[in-house]
Amino acid sequence: MSSDQHPALEIARLNFRYGDRGFELQLPALTLGRGEEMLLVGRSGCGKSTLLQLIAGLVDPTSGTVKVAGEDIHRLKGAARDRFRGRSVGMVFQTFNLLHGFSAIENVMVAMLMSDMPKADWQPRAEALLRTLGIERLDAPAEELSVGQQQRVAVARALACRPALVLADEPTASLDPENSANAVRVLRDACREQGAALLVVSHDPSLEAHFARRERLEKLAPSAGSEAAA
Amino acid sequence: MSDLTIVLRSLRTRMFSTLVVVLLVAVSAGLLLAILSLRSAGERAFERGTGNAHLLVSRDGSPLVSVLNGLFYANPPKAPIEQAKLDELRASFPWAMFVPTAVGDSYRTFPVVATAPDFFSKFEPVFGEPWKFAEGRAFDTSFEVVIGSGVARETGLRMGAKLVLTHGSGKSREGVADEHAHEHNEYQYTVVGILAPTGSPHDRALFTDLTSCWILHAHDRFEREGTHKTVTPADLVAEDKVVTGVLLRLPSRDNAGAPPALASQYDRLRRDGSLTVAIPANEVQRLFGIVKSIDVLFLAMAAATLVSSAFAILLSMINSMSERRRQVAILRVLGASSMRIFWLVLTESTIIGLVGAALGVFVCGAVLFLSTQWLLGAHGIMIAPELDARSAVIVAMGTTLLAAIAGIVPSVLAYRTPVSRNLRPIG
Repeated sequence: MSSDQHPALEIARLNFRYGDRGFELQLPALTLGRGEEMLLVGRSGCGKSTLLQLIAGLVDPTSGTVKVAGEDIHRLKGAARDRFRGRSVGMVFQTFNLLHGFSAIENVMVAMLMSDMPKADWQPRAEALLRTLGIERLDAPAEELSVGQQQRVAVARALACRPALVLADEPTASLDPENSANAVRVLRDACREQGAALLVVSHDPSLEAHFARRERLEKLAPSAGSEAAA
Repeated sequence: MSDLTIVLRSLRTRMFSTLVVVLLVAVSAGLLLAILSLRSAGERAFERGTGNAHLLVSRDGSPLVSVLNGLFYANPPKAPIEQAKLDELRASFPWAMFVPTAVGDSYRTFPVVATAPDFFSKFEPVFGEPWKFAEGRAFDTSFEVVIGSGVARETGLRMGAKLVLTHGSGKSREGVADEHAHEHNEYQYTVVGILAPTGSPHDRALFTDLTSCWILHAHDRFEREGTHKTVTPADLVAEDKVVTGVLLRLPSRDNAGAPPALASQYDRLRRDGSLTVAIPANEVQRLFGIVKSIDVLFLAMAAATLVSSAFAILLSMINSMSERRRQVAILRVLGASSMRIFWLVLTESTIIGLVGAALGVFVCGAVLFLSTQWLLGAHGIMIAPELDARSAVIVAMGTTLLAAIAGIVPSVLAYRTPVSRNLRPIG
């Protein structure tokens, strides 16, 4: 099976325990197809962000597998995992996490620098992505852009390396309801156009109207955020 | 866009602290380079000032003082050598050069050296470099004066200018011009020659004949005795005809190096307890032997400053870690490996060192320029420090290496930055 034929995300028997408080997350299974969209909601502290970090390979599970585009990300070690993440997983954060001191286009190109994308493609792709998302001031410093524009730059950066999967962690938490709807539309449209699967985690119930596939983390993972067994 | 862009942007984001640290490194590296350049240049300059005299005889307190007073004009010598002793000294050996000098008067604080015509024909201000006249000639008769290039430059005196001399150094105890100094207004000198620059303290002196010097002091003697008259050479008595030093050169075949008889003549003259005998070249070496320990201290201080600037790099980078952690976490999410982050931060500190070292070369140039101008202006010592390429490369490499070492701790901290914690708390 070629990597394009694998689902964007396959989670099986995922178990994660953390810290003195005994935080535990158990997720028996979760699959996200190529180009599929899904909203994962849940109460604060139930482990939504932790799940995204597990999927991105930023933290290691206690047991279980997380496959992104058919690759078990946790079997990759060190730089190989980092390169794979850069190539295959795009991330959008609540606070966007743009690099200060870098322009809009540079923020997008940094993502390409970290991947193995041919250098000749960087500038044209970054420009095209940003223009598609309605950013005209490509050389404007990120910190001088409006909140909405910063969010679009963050989306462009997440999609820069043509990832199989985009993870969005509370992408509307810092926006008002009107902008929140716009932001979700921009995110979905962009991912759809680029063929990337989208997994949004949020505690905002108003987002549910935008997604055909909606899940509650507490339902998928009944022990999410609970005290681990001794 | 490259890794270097990320490093440069990171430095630009912390522009103020980056500039301060770069300047600190530049000043430290520049000072170290300047001291390295000046120490050898200073020694060369002092050796240059001793001229071609094998021996200097005076009645100063020590041979070193004798050289400082007689050749570097630090102070007017106090104890004179009388004519009888001078004649005895002249007759004691077939000297190749026997040039008496009397240093004591001044013109606008510049020392006046009364001497014999041989001073211009036999004495070389710098070994192997005889006097050259920019204008005019040596003095022929009394009350003619030849001025050094520095005097001409600073006083504006030109050929044919008239001037009167001041008794003593013309300076107060504080070393500044003394307005109440006694001027020999009765006797005017005429400038008949301007010397070309020699790069020695002689550039800041005026030269005249011994007879006119003696006449000035005989005039003072007559004044003290209550006799007011125009003194002529015929009025001079033995008491007037004194000198403060004698520059001696022994005959030698090749005109270079110390002649075999130097040691024996030196010993012979030293046996005369009334005289102070100095081998100028040796005294300069001795002076530098004394100065060298201070010199090493300066070098150690400059090196310590350089090390402290490395600590400044370390501190500034550690202080920026809180904002850097977020940047590191973002880069890690985008695909940067821990090792790549390590090198990015290490490159940042190395660039600070490299730019600081490069600027340090300019700082060194500025320090050398200012110090050479000051030495030339204040003491007539022309030093020609050369920025030794080897020293420059070693200091630049050392500075860069120190900066890189200073960057290791912040680089390790960046390497170990937990990504998840710096993006959003777990849970």
